[in-house]
Amino acid sequence: MPETNHEITLDSALSEEAVLATYRRMFAALARDSGAVVDEPALVDIAETLFAAFAEAGEEWLTHEQMRHICRAYPLEQFENRLRVLKGLGAIREVFPKPNQLRYRASFTSVVGLMFVRRMMDDGGQSEMHRLLALEDLNVADPRTTMEEARLSAQNLSRAFRLWALELITLTSGTIEELREQAPKLWGTEEIARRAQSLHATILTRWPDLDRTCTELRAAIYSYSDASRRAAGRLADSAGTTRNLTLLPAETWRTFAQTATRERLAAVLDGFVFDAPAPWHDPAAIVRAVDESPRPAPAQPTPPRSALPDPGPADSYEPGGGGLDHLASVAEAALAGRGTARLEELLTADGEWVSARRLLADLVSADLRPESPYRLRWSDALTADPDGEPTWLSHGHLERAGHDA
Amino acid sequence: MTPELAHARARATGPLSLGVGEPSPMGMTRLGHGDGTGVALPAWPDGATPSLLEEYQVAPVNVERSGETRRVLAAALKCCWTDLTADPWPGSPAPVEDVLSAYRALIGRGDDLMRNWAVGALRRLHDSAWLEMDAGTVRLGPRCACWPSDSHAQLRELVRRLPSGEERSPGLDVLPVAGEAWDDSPTGDDADGQDGGHDSGGGCSAAEGDGERLEADGDETHGPSGADGGEAHGRPGADGRSVAGGDGRGDGTGGDAFVEGAASVTVPDAVDEDLLGPFDERRRAEIVAAFMAVEHAAEPVHEARFPALRDPAPRRTLAEMLRRRGRTLVQDREAWTSGYADETAALTGTSLGEAERAVLVLVLIHSVAIPRAEGLLPADSWLSPFPAQVDELRRHTRLPVGELDAALRTLRHAGLLSQVKAGEEAGGYIPGPQFNRLTPQARRRLQEELILAAGPHTPLAAAVRANRR
Repeated sequence: MPETNHEITLDSALSEEAVLATYRRMFAALARDSGAVVDEPALVDIAETLFAAFAEAGEEWLTHEQMRHICRAYPLEQFENRLRVLKGLGAIREVFPKPNQLRYRASFTSVVGLMFVRRMMDDGGQSEMHRLLALEDLNVADPRTTMEEARLSAQNLSRAFRLWALELITLTSGTIEELREQAPKLWGTEEIARRAQSLHATILTRWPDLDRTCTELRAAIYSYSDASRRAAGRLADSAGTTRNLTLLPAETWRTFAQTATRERLAAVLDGFVFDAPAPWHDPAAIVRAVDESPRPAPAQPTPPRSALPDPGPADSYEPGGGGLDHLASVAEAALAGRGTARLEELLTADGEWVSARRLLADLVSADLRPESPYRLRWSDALTADPDGEPTWLSHGHLERAGHDA
Repeated sequence: MTPELAHARARATGPLSLGVGEPSPMGMTRLGHGDGTGVALPAWPDGATPSLLEEYQVAPVNVERSGETRRVLAAALKCCWTDLTADPWPGSPAPVEDVLSAYRALIGRGDDLMRNWAVGALRRLHDSAWLEMDAGTVRLGPRCACWPSDSHAQLRELVRRLPSGEERSPGLDVLPVAGEAWDDSPTGDDADGQDGGHDSGGGCSAAEGDGERLEADGDETHGPSGADGGEAHGRPGADGRSVAGGDGRGDGTGGDAFVEGAASVTVPDAVDEDLLGPFDERRRAEIVAAFMAVEHAAEPVHEARFPALRDPAPRRTLAEMLRRRGRTLVQDREAWTSGYADETAALTGTSLGEAERAVLVLVLIHSVAIPRAEGLLPADSWLSPFPAQVDELRRHTRLPVGELDAALRTLRHAGLLSQVKAGEEAGGYIPGPQFNRLTPQARRRLQEELILAAGPHTPLAAAVRANRR
């Protein structure tokens, strides 16, 4: 990844620094000077990209141009610089050691080394220690192994354990945040201590003369176990009431949840007391619950009724009843036995608008009722009489239509 | 057994049963069965009940399907409280079928779904000691004796106006569900004789022989309590109250020991009077309110609302009241609740069944431990917003599904788990409000036990073990 496309945040800077620290530590023993180890994680990525391409190319090998093409994502200068270093250290070599060689091959050892580095980053070297112990165990059991080799192996191991323990001890007296971050990678499981002790026992049984070396190894193992426990203890003390759960990886929790038997799970809560269900049902709440009980809805909800006694539908509307009778009597009175009557006469008979308008209203109603036989026929004639009442008067007839009604 | 332990046990496992003539522990009400045995229930100071929380607008412990549960309780009251002149407890036993038909009449529908719901509610009421279900009969449970006597009128009125199971219309008849099993006993054996009665509309006392017997008992319990004058009902004075007197011809009435003799309720005098006495009325009420709040509210209560929690002096008294019950105050910043005192908890012992504990641990791992290990859960507590998926619990654990479901139901009912619903299938369970009640020591111990169980060979576990030694 070219540096330019890459936004540098505090977090990314920190994680890069952690990666570099591992690289530096890994190769510190081999470095010529302090500047020899990479100072940017991208540089390792170039190497990895190249190794992957070499693996794919097989016996075709790779030319300089091909390598450049594969690493086109990186700036030319960085690539050339990297290639020079890799060639210098022998990680990438000419296929045949001749001048003007065009094709290159990669070294197997370097790839393995990188794999190892990545693993170290993940678990702080715990699994390497496991493997190392397993191998040493096989070695010392091998009849061909000499006492000198065993001594060397024991010394190496005790040195490793001592350094490991020292690192933990330093962490334990440092800040709690750093301890929380680093310690779980460093502290060993009981498994490692057990393996180391069995190795120690094998050596001591086979070569009793090595008892001094073995005492040292034993002391180193003990001090390592002790440092592990102390670091864990400090964390356990510093944590709150659930904070330590962080210190086991999520995978451990999942495995436990998926594989533990009922008895093992239940044992966790042995001796914890919880309340039995004891909800309170207040009498008022019971009454409320009954009152609010959902009732099945009837098909047709009845409208609300008054609580007063109901005399029944006595004065409700009856078609053909009162209204029409009244209109008929008014119309008959106006007709006064005649078949038709002139409206202008009827309306001016009383000489005042108040009674004329009532009569007009009734006659119009009778006209509009289809079931009544009275009809109004208006003509176009209009009288205007400024002094009379009504002042404006339309002419027309009231007549009894169709004598069948 | 010390009073502290007795109170803690009653809270953890429900009402305590007492042997013949055994007095109730200090601060507990004794409910005597006629034969000398009885049960003990904690008594609340100054006649308070958890309904006091309503006045302070504090949510009480959540009741699952509260409306339905209370309606079923009302139906049971209708059937079991046969003598309305006496107190509701002990009442008389009634067949489960009668309670169901009373419930059917109450809600006006009679399908299978309603029946299943009602059966679920009966089971919950049984688990919380409000009812006792046994061999196809239902009786009022000890908690019904906790209703203050001045609220009895309200209940009496309710029971009078409830429709009885007999009045139901024939259209609402439900066929008995084939092969259905009751919680602990099939309806079949004992209710057979009465079944005929229901189908022809049998209500509470429809079954002939049973009705007669109940009536006789009713008379018996009624008489002496009338003679007593009933004036002492529920007043926590003198030497308690008698619900029903006279042990007359108890033996003659048949096998049911429960209704024989005289059941009695003995309320202890002046609970915590020695502690509350020195305070004036207002202070006293404040202390009692705070006591009920920390003991019965669902969540911790804020001290701003309860002066007795804010002031150190009344808080001391409150702490002492709790101490007498094997409890202690649990503080979370300015909110308070109560929990089992650690030393009492050690003596009380586990109250949950093995399957329930196992399921609870699984939920704790999925909703607290894993999110915490992944850095998602910042707060240092046993509560969590991350539900343990039901699917995960079903598929990826070694617990049988049936056992898992039953345990989840029990835990939910007890407020140890809360259900989180999300969509159709998703959703799951998170630790319930009871986890607020763990003391700091208990919370820490829970963490350690989990670490010891999940990673017994890690240095962390070794450190935990070394610390304990």
